[in-house]
Amino acid sequence: MTVQTERPPSGPADVRRTAGGGGSGRPNPRASRVGALAPYLLLLPACAATVLLLGWPLLKDLLLSFQNLNMAQLIQHVTEWNGIDNYTEVLTGEDFWRVTLRSILFTAVNVALTMFLGSLVGLLLARLGKRMRFTLMIGLVLAWAMPVVAATTVYQWLFAQRFGVVNWVLDKLGRHSMADYSWTSDQMSTFFVVTVLIVWMSIPFVAINLYAATTTIPGELYEAAALDGAGAWKSFTTVTLPFLRPFLYATTFLEIIWIFKAFVQVYTFNQGGPDRLTEILPVYAYIEGVGNQHYGMGAAIAFLTILIMIGLTAYYLRIVLKQEKEEEAGL
Amino acid sequence: MKRKLISAIGVAAMMVSIAACGGDDGDEGGKAGADGYAGQTLTVWVMDGSSPDQWQKDVAAAFEKKTKAKVKFEVQQWNGIQQKLTTALSEENPPDVFEIGNTQTPAYAKTGGLADLADLKTEIGADWTESLNNSSVFEGKQYAAPWYFANRVVLYNKKIWAEAGIKDTPKTRDEFYADLKTIGDKTDAEPIYLPGQNWYHFVGLTIGEGAELVKKDGDSYVSNLADPKVAAAMETYKKFQALSKAPKDKDEATPQQGEVFGKGNVGAFIGMGWEAGIAIEANPKIEKEIGYFTIPGATADKPEGVFLGGSNLAVAAGSKKQELAKEFLRIALSDEHEGQLAKLNGVIPNKESLQSNLEGNVVAEAAAPAAAGGGTTPLIAEWAAVENAPNPIKTYMTAVLNGKSPAEAAAQVEEEFNKRLSQQQ
Amino acid sequence: MKRSLFGRIWPNATAVVLFIGFVFPVYWMIATAFKPTGDIISEDPVWFPTDITLDHFKTATGADHFWTFVTNSLTVTVLAVVFSLVIALAGSFALARMRFRGRRGFIIGFMLAQMAPWEVMIIAMYMIVRDASMLNSLVPLTAFYTMMILPFTILTLRGFVAAVPAELEESAMVDGCTRMQAFRRVILPLLAPGLMATSMFGFITAWNEFALVLVLNKDAEAQTLPLWLTSFQTVFGNDWGATMAASTLFAVPILILFVFLQRRAVSGLTAGAVKG
Repeated sequence: MTVQTERPPSGPADVRRTAGGGGSGRPNPRASRVGALAPYLLLLPACAATVLLLGWPLLKDLLLSFQNLNMAQLIQHVTEWNGIDNYTEVLTGEDFWRVTLRSILFTAVNVALTMFLGSLVGLLLARLGKRMRFTLMIGLVLAWAMPVVAATTVYQWLFAQRFGVVNWVLDKLGRHSMADYSWTSDQMSTFFVVTVLIVWMSIPFVAINLYAATTTIPGELYEAAALDGAGAWKSFTTVTLPFLRPFLYATTFLEIIWIFKAFVQVYTFNQGGPDRLTEILPVYAYIEGVGNQHYGMGAAIAFLTILIMIGLTAYYLRIVLKQEKEEEAGL
Repeated sequence: MKRKLISAIGVAAMMVSIAACGGDDGDEGGKAGADGYAGQTLTVWVMDGSSPDQWQKDVAAAFEKKTKAKVKFEVQQWNGIQQKLTTALSEENPPDVFEIGNTQTPAYAKTGGLADLADLKTEIGADWTESLNNSSVFEGKQYAAPWYFANRVVLYNKKIWAEAGIKDTPKTRDEFYADLKTIGDKTDAEPIYLPGQNWYHFVGLTIGEGAELVKKDGDSYVSNLADPKVAAAMETYKKFQALSKAPKDKDEATPQQGEVFGKGNVGAFIGMGWEAGIAIEANPKIEKEIGYFTIPGATADKPEGVFLGGSNLAVAAGSKKQELAKEFLRIALSDEHEGQLAKLNGVIPNKESLQSNLEGNVVAEAAAPAAAGGGTTPLIAEWAAVENAPNPIKTYMTAVLNGKSPAEAAAQVEEEFNKRLSQQQ
Repeated sequence: MKRSLFGRIWPNATAVVLFIGFVFPVYWMIATAFKPTGDIISEDPVWFPTDITLDHFKTATGADHFWTFVTNSLTVTVLAVVFSLVIALAGSFALARMRFRGRRGFIIGFMLAQMAPWEVMIIAMYMIVRDASMLNSLVPLTAFYTMMILPFTILTLRGFVAAVPAELEESAMVDGCTRMQAFRRVILPLLAPGLMATSMFGFITAWNEFALVLVLNKDAEAQTLPLWLTSFQTVFGNDWGATMAASTLFAVPILILFVFLQRRAVSGLTAGAVKG
């Protein structure tokens, strides 16, 4: 498993640049016309699927967001346009903005923890002996492979108020007030458990990728750094870090979108409770729309959620655009 | 249609009478041909745990015998049922007949998703207990048929009560509290397992106090949680909850209170009779220790108010088998099968005349005295939105249990509560 | 460079702690699944199940339609993975190897597609499928799952394709292969680890999905395993034993697949996939 990084750090990419590619290498004009069409033909299935299976639901969602669509309308297949009422209601209410802010903070904290700890684990993997590395890798892979529905269920059980193993351990460690602590009773403790769960599930991806990346760093670079008299820290900052930067960017991007969308973990663990205090945007959209059966309102929130997500990742998308431009020059 | 009004008569007689006039209905689909309804299958949604296999089997057999059609029971989970039902009713092939919670019925009646059952009511429903039929009637029309009802009782561990030296079951609320105190003092057991969000019990307490959860404000309904009577009910709840180690922010299902009780270290809990089964499954040895009594009220002559949970059977307006669906209701709700259900499940049947089926059933005998003073959540279409998670009443309960005054807690959830009551339909 | 004793010990010690941290939840799931109910709800946790029971597994697999769910889940997941791999392979080849107008637009487009928050669009998808009279079928499910994993697959495979030196392809073509043959004989074998890595991701995503199947397919004949898994948390509360047994059964195929493929996938990673 890997991430799509945007700038090939070394090796083959350079070869590729000089070797050139695409349909440009052929002189035959007819072939080149076919060649010019080839990329579009190759992309056609993917684009068709995207338009049909993503574009259409998106459009439908947009249309629904301008409708008053509740139980009765859904059951009787009635379309009741209500203009921008859903948006006005959502955007003028406090809830939406509170949830948005919470979502952004939640994503920031989780992504930061995941990236930081994941990188440390990745670097640790690089430092371990073969056998130990294999052992830790197995542990990481097990956590990574746990299906999210199963993992969330297991965490509910670990953190159960009664007979949950975490409370038992805390009690034995002397925190007797925790013996019957209800993790779902409080906003912060709910977020705490969800964060532990998400970080636990996400670290392996970051760590294993990062480890794999470090193994591709040419040894000569370190030798050269050592010749320059660089210490461990110096060679880390001058060799390792710059080399890993594209990975860190790409992985962070993926983690942001995955964690921002962490619907299953939050919803399954505590349904956005207590008192709706742990609803993040996707959960909020779901509870307002499907849970409370205000489907039009839910559609409006969903659409706003998508816009916010694009906003959050805009910075990275711009980097990608820029890099691709450079890369195209090389193709 | 020349159906006679049939009241409490034997099922055999009823069958004859219906057979005599079968097949003359003019509905499009689901029409009985020369061969009855042979080859058709009626889909019936029943909720998890509501009807025993034996009952389903017997009803299916009787149904097949009479109509030549088959019936397919599909068991549904309560969790998320409203969303599932709403979408299902919008589909081409909705379940033909479905069980629907009594408190959810008005909201669905209003959506137009339920078929009008006026003729069925005239035909077989003349002696349905009126208080049980209330939830099926919306704006004067009959949208469902009452099926079965139940209310909560106290399930207690006889061994622990004996250990604490208590001989008789309590007859008043104060006695009940004193007994639980004694258990706490004299034994190692947790006197009562009462999680903070057993909200149906709380609704029962408000009914006991004569309180209303909502009040009318002009054209719409608003929260009435600030009513001192509601506060009084909540104080009672809090007093008993203080004796329990159960979580203040969970309902009785997480963890299953029956399972906790089954461990044998809990004096009592307030629940439905069938929850004893969960305890026994967790620990078979507990079976002979379980006793039941009516939840005691403020005075000995009147048991505590209880929430009368229950279910109605409704026919989807979009079903193409309207007549067949009604045939099913005639059989399922016949004295034979309605009585059988009461007997097997210990639930309160839809007619007084069938209550004799409860004799000898200790659970039902403990439940029945309170049923007369039982009630439901407000029977208004707006109510369904209130029960969606996160239920503001549960939030209110947890807030009070965590130290807020009832007035503060009522103020805290009022906005959310009112918002749900005023949601566009 | 010789490291001090401390310098040699702490990475291993940390690794052991981390190993326990990562494995414990998985272990606890499996251990709980094998314990009798009395040991599960026990005031003191039973760390190592001594009194092993298969009851919970019997409850879990004895659920109605269990084998239908297994078949459906496998069908939908495998098909979605295969479709998305085939579609993505073509697209990623174009994106990695060819130069054409709008290339950047496509890349950004797929990145945006990757962000789609599917759970919140459920009702729109439901209404589309309902109005097309395709409810209770595995077809729309397969199609949507394919789409859910397609953007990631394209973008990731693009990296793998780019990492295969173009020279190899060129020289194959010089040897008389057509471009298609060159692709099939030279690039495809080199892409094997990449295909495995991406298919693992796709497999997990499709295997896990439950919000959509919940609303699209009410008929048990067309439901999948995640619904079965969540059904153990009913209104009657959590049957932890059965839930953990179900979770275990649900996770096992993925765990096995992962551990099995991981070595090849990692070797794929190190062999250059990450360079793309």
